[in-house]
Amino acid sequence: MIPETLKKALEARVASAITAREAAVDVMKELQAHYGWLTDEAVEEAASLLGLSPLQVEELATFYEMIYRRPVGKKVIHVCDSISCWCVDCDGIIEHLKEKLGVALGGTTADGMFTLLPCCCMGMCGDGPAMSVGGIPYGKLTPELVDEILEMERQKI
Amino acid sequence: MPKLIIDDIPVEVAPGTSVLEAARSVGITIPHFCYHPALAIAAACRLCAVKLLDGPVKGIQMSCALPAQDGMVVSTTDPEALRMRQLVIEWLMINHPHDCPVCDEGGECLLQDFTIAGGHSRRRYQGKKRTFQNQYLGETIHHEMNRCIECYRCVRFYQDYAGGTDFGVTGSAGRVYFGRFQEGALESPFSGNLVDICPTGVFTDKTGRFRARYWDYQFAPSVCQHCSVGCNTAPQNFQRETIKIVGRRNDQVNGWFICDRARFDKGYLNDPQRPREARLDGATCGYDVAIDAAAKAIGKFVAQNGAESLAFVGSSRLSLEGMILLAQLARTVDGARLCYFTDGGELTGSAAAARLLNEKNSAYLRDIEKAECIALYALDLMEEGPMLALAVRKAFLAGAQIYLVDGDPIPAREKLPFTFTAVATLDEVPFEGGGRGVVIAGAGKKDADLLDQLASGGAKLVMLQPGPNAMAGGLLSLEFGGQAFSELASAGKIKGVVCFEADLPEGLIVDVEVVACADWRTGAAAAKAPVFLPTTTWVESDGTAINYEGRAQRFQRTRVPGLPLRGLDPKYYGSTADAVAEHPPRVHRKEVPGGAERDAWRVMAQLIERLGGRTIEEPLTGRWSKLKDLDPESEGVRVFNLLQGDPRTDS
Repeated sequence: MIPETLKKALEARVASAITAREAAVDVMKELQAHYGWLTDEAVEEAASLLGLSPLQVEELATFYEMIYRRPVGKKVIHVCDSISCWCVDCDGIIEHLKEKLGVALGGTTADGMFTLLPCCCMGMCGDGPAMSVGGIPYGKLTPELVDEILEMERQKI
Repeated sequence: MPKLIIDDIPVEVAPGTSVLEAARSVGITIPHFCYHPALAIAAACRLCAVKLLDGPVKGIQMSCALPAQDGMVVSTTDPEALRMRQLVIEWLMINHPHDCPVCDEGGECLLQDFTIAGGHSRRRYQGKKRTFQNQYLGETIHHEMNRCIECYRCVRFYQDYAGGTDFGVTGSAGRVYFGRFQEGALESPFSGNLVDICPTGVFTDKTGRFRARYWDYQFAPSVCQHCSVGCNTAPQNFQRETIKIVGRRNDQVNGWFICDRARFDKGYLNDPQRPREARLDGATCGYDVAIDAAAKAIGKFVAQNGAESLAFVGSSRLSLEGMILLAQLARTVDGARLCYFTDGGELTGSAAAARLLNEKNSAYLRDIEKAECIALYALDLMEEGPMLALAVRKAFLAGAQIYLVDGDPIPAREKLPFTFTAVATLDEVPFEGGGRGVVIAGAGKKDADLLDQLASGGAKLVMLQPGPNAMAGGLLSLEFGGQAFSELASAGKIKGVVCFEADLPEGLIVDVEVVACADWRTGAAAAKAPVFLPTTTWVESDGTAINYEGRAQRFQRTRVPGLPLRGLDPKYYGSTADAVAEHPPRVHRKEVPGGAERDAWRVMAQLIERLGGRTIEEPLTGRWSKLKDLDPESEGVRVFNLLQGDPRTDS
């Protein structure tokens, strides 16, 4: 169940869109922020807000990589494995992250802090290798820089 | 009209025709998966590549998404195009499990055909294959996602064409998955078409899996006998059992698809408890013995009670041939009554539709699809003619206004695949000068004045009939003075009845003697009749049916009658007596066990002969004789012009 205020706000967002589908991503992001991830319940809530079937929301939710249909840690790390970053050895950065966090790609650290996901380009090709942590982008990564960023992000909570 | 050259053959096609269709029109099949004539273009599979050698565009192009243009020179055999298709097939096959021997689609699989046609015959890929979890999609369709080649045909049909919302495509890139949000039965009443439309075995017909291969099937063009739309089907039979029923294309009637009732409602055809032996006073007997007895009983009844107290009763389950001969049979017993309908309301409605409809005002599939304004007049469209709901949806998507007239709300159990405005009367529907407006009403149980009023509006009409061949019943009721049995019985005018595939409720025949009964299923009349004559169903007989719009269509016998060879379902072994009774005899014999059924019209012809009438070889005579050579693979023919100058009168 979502709070009445959130529900009202989302209804207003849907009402202001020309077609309900257009507001789907916003609604899913808000619900994700509320629950931490887009739960099955949230999918059904989004569907009823948008006038779509749960399946039709699921179609959109599973298409976007920043909508999480499974539980994630407090901060999600999206590390780019696309071609520009690959040219500047993102593989090494990914290996370092896996080792440092003790998880495989898709895994969440034991303390529930970080979830590590590969992603396909964040538009930071000039600053590769790149990643984002909890929505904040970081570029020109080195293993040392990665360590610093993780430490800093851990402290920020 | 664009003129182009395909593989050195000059082709001229209508504007907007794709190169793929243009090639098909001269007999060249370009391999394709995602392309389907009834669906929007996706250009997702990349298989239909051709090379354009000259003209407005050049080089490799996708022929399904390329409109034919003047001056194009197309090669489907260019080495570059061939190589491209071969590589595309190879990549589409990378994740395919190659499980053809255990796949029910094997032998009728587009993927098999085009893999071979595309020249990919040896697997080079050695890596791991992508795999999925399958979902339970209900008792009719089996899901096997690993076989998927991502052509998107299923979702384009299910959501775009049929308006379903509970099945779709999730994920992205290599994780694309076609399924539901949660496991469960597919909700759309058209879901069975996924089986036909999937180019491979992701969706297979659970009701007939692993019974036989395509080359084992016996099949023939047939016409569905569940409602009066008359969709074209092809029942696939194996060893006297109807295994599957698939849709057959008829652009005038059902397009490419059929509803789930047409596809899956087939258990009654194979039922081992179907009456298959002629019976006289409760004991089985030879068929001719039973016919003799029936003729004798009719003669005796008429001598005792007079012909006017005897009714020959049929139903809309009879073929046109059966209905015509029923009238002749009633005429042979001079003064006997003739009933094609049990219910008075159904007779009134069907006869009114038969009287009111003509070549000009009777709407068919294309009229509905192209309509600008459609009024649904107090009917349950999903029950009375589900396939027409898809035609209305097509019109709706093209911008037509849809109205539901009359307070009689459509039962909520089936959601309609379009939105409509509810209005109280037909006057509120804004038909603009009658142009491209269609009124869809159910003819059954409507009074004639009301139907008159609908017909006078200037819009085209669809009057859905209360049964599969009820239009023929209406036409023949007008011609031969057919009456409603319930009215005759309740007025006490009837003392005896001879039934041919008629569904008489038990209450109506309490005080009526059932002289004889011919049917392919059991009912109250069959139980009461001293003489019982088993008849063939529509899959086991040739015949003609007339649909709601007056289109006569021929269906062919798709298999011989008789007990399925498969043996009995375990449920029949609950009682030894049952199992022994239902099981085919374990002794050698030359006849097909349980194969004594005869077509209803032949039974009637034999009765006519025994009652002193003439010998009948051909049931379609007189004005109906023009239907004699109707081709079962044609689009059918509307009967209105055929019947011009006919004795149809107001009844």
